[in-house]
Amino acid sequence: MKTMSLCVTVNGESKQWTIAPGDLLLDVLRREGYFGVKRGCEKGECGACTVLVHGKPVNSCLIFAAQVEGGEILTIEGLAQGDTLDPLQEAFLDHGAVQCGFCTPGMILAAKALLDRQPHPTEEQVREALAGNYCRCTGYRKPVEAVLAAAARRKVPTEVAR
Amino acid sequence: MFDRVEAFYRPESVPEVLRLLQRSKGQARMVAGGTDLVVEGDRSVRFLIDLTRAGLTYIRSRDTTCVIGATTTLADLEESTAIHALAGGLLSRAAAACGSVQNRNLATLGGNLAHGSPAADMATPLLALDASVVVADGEGRHKMPLAEYFGRAWQNGASHALLIEVRVPMPPQNGRCGWSFQKFGRTEVDLSLVNAAAGLQLDARGRVKWARLALGAVAAAPFRALPVESLMAGREFDHSLLAEAGEEVMREVQPIADLRASEEFRRELSRVVAGRALEECAARAGCSL
Ligand SMILES: Cc1cc2nc3c(=O)[nH]c(=O)nc-3n(C[C@H](O)[C@H](O)[C@H](O)COP(=O)(O)OP(=O)(O)OC[C@H]3O[C@@H](n4cnc5c(N)ncnc54)[C@H](O)[C@@H]3O)c2cc1C
Ligand code: FES
Ligand code: FES
Repeated sequence: MKTMSLCVTVNGESKQWTIAPGDLLLDVLRREGYFGVKRGCEKGECGACTVLVHGKPVNSCLIFAAQVEGGEILTIEGLAQGDTLDPLQEAFLDHGAVQCGFCTPGMILAAKALLDRQPHPTEEQVREALAGNYCRCTGYRKPVEAVLAAAARRKVPTEVAR
Repeated sequence: MFDRVEAFYRPESVPEVLRLLQRSKGQARMVAGGTDLVVEGDRSVRFLIDLTRAGLTYIRSRDTTCVIGATTTLADLEESTAIHALAGGLLSRAAAACGSVQNRNLATLGGNLAHGSPAADMATPLLALDASVVVADGEGRHKMPLAEYFGRAWQNGASHALLIEVRVPMPPQNGRCGWSFQKFGRTEVDLSLVNAAAGLQLDARGRVKWARLALGAVAAAPFRALPVESLMAGREFDHSLLAEAGEEVMREVQPIADLRASEEFRRELSRVVAGRALEECAARAGCSL
C-alpha cells in the first residue's frame, strides 16, 4: 500500500507519522494510542471522536489525516497538566456528568473550545456548543451544569483581579 | 477508511487543482470539508484533491457584490461581519442551522452546493438572493446563475468542474425589506425535511413590492417558486395572501417519501415552512400580522 508522511503537533508534541493517503484522522490518532478519541457512529453524528484542530472542534471521523498536515491537534489526553485536571474535567466529575464516559472526551473538548472563545456563556450557548455530542447516559442536564460551573470557576480569578 | 486511495494532493492554487483534475481523468475526487464525501461512503476513490489550501477561503464585500470563496466554511459565514450585514444576516442564519459546531467548522459553502443535495441548506438563501457561481474547468472560467448550476449545468458535468466562488449581488437597502430562512427537520441538527428562504419588500401602504421565495428538499433540486412570487407582487400583505401563497406552494413542490417523512407530510410542511418564512420577512419589514 502507498504511504505518505504526516507532520502534526498533538497535545503540544511534534509528531511525524507514516499514514496511508486515505486514512481518516480518527484512525490515525487511535492507531497512535490516543484512545480518548472515541469511535462512535463514524458519520459525523455523535461527536464522540471530537478533537480540536487549531482550537476548533471537528469530528475526526470526517476529516482525512492528510488534511491536517502542519496542524495543531488537541485530544483529551492533552488537557490535564500532569496530575492537575482541567477545571472542565473537575466540574464534570463533581457534577456527576460522567457515567459510562464514552461521550465525555468529546463533550469536554467541545466545551473547552466554547469557553476559550466565550468564557461566560449562557446556558443556551452551552447547549448549542454540545448539540453535536450525543450522550446516552446522563440526559444532558449534568454536562450542561458542569460546563456552566467550570465557567463560573474560571470567572473567580478575574473578579478578584479587578 | 478509504483504502483504494493512492495519493492525496494538497494543491496551493487553482491552476494546480485544474492540472491535477485533468491528469487524473475522472479518477480523482475533490475534497473540502469532507462532511458529505466521507459519509457518502464511495470507497472506490483513487486520488483525493484537497481544496482547502488552494486560496479559495475568502469573503470580499464590494459595493454591489459580496464574493464568497468556495472553501469558506459555514462557521466562517456564521461569524463574518460582512455576511451579517448582508440581507439581515440571512446567510449567517442559514449556515448556523447546518448541523453541529463540529460539522460547521469543516463543512464548506462550495461543498454544500457542489454535492448536489436537494436539502442543502445554503442553496435556498442563495437562490433567493439571486446568487451566481463561478466554475472552472480545462477550458476556463464560467459564471452562471446558481439556478442554472443546479439545473442543466450540474447534470451536464458542472459537478466535475471546480467551483471557485459564489457571487451575491447586494440586495436593495432602501425601503422596508425583510429576509428569512426557515428549516424544518426532525431535530435541530438533522437534515431539512423542508427549507425555505424568502425576501420581501413592502411599500408605505403595506403592499408587496416584490417577493422572493426559494424552497429546498421538496424537489430534485432547490428552486425558486416564481409563480408564488408573481402572485404576491402588488398585493396587500395579509392572511388571505399568505393562504393563497401557501396553496400555490403545495402545487409547486414535488416531494419524495423516505424514512424521514411521507410525501403528503412534506407537501403540507412546505406550505407551513414557506408561510413562516414569508411572515418573518414581513415582520422584519415592519408588518406583523
Ligand atoms: C452530521 C451531519 C449533519 C449535516 N447537517 C447538514 C445540514 O443541516 N444542512 C446541510 O445543508 N448540510 C448538512 N450536512 C451536509 C454537509 O455538512 C454540507 O453539505 C457541507 O456543506 C458539505 O461541504 P464539505 O466541504 O464538507 O463537502 P465535501 O464533503 O468536501 O464535498 C462534497 C462534494 O462536493 C465536491 N466539492 C467540494 N468542494 C467543491 C468545489 N469547490 N468544487 C467542486 N466540487 C466540490 C466534492 O468532490 C464532493 O463530491 C451535514 C453533514 C453531516 C455529516
Ligand atoms: S464517530 Fe465521529 S461523529 Fe460519531
Ligand atoms: S456518559 Fe455515557 S454516553 Fe455520555
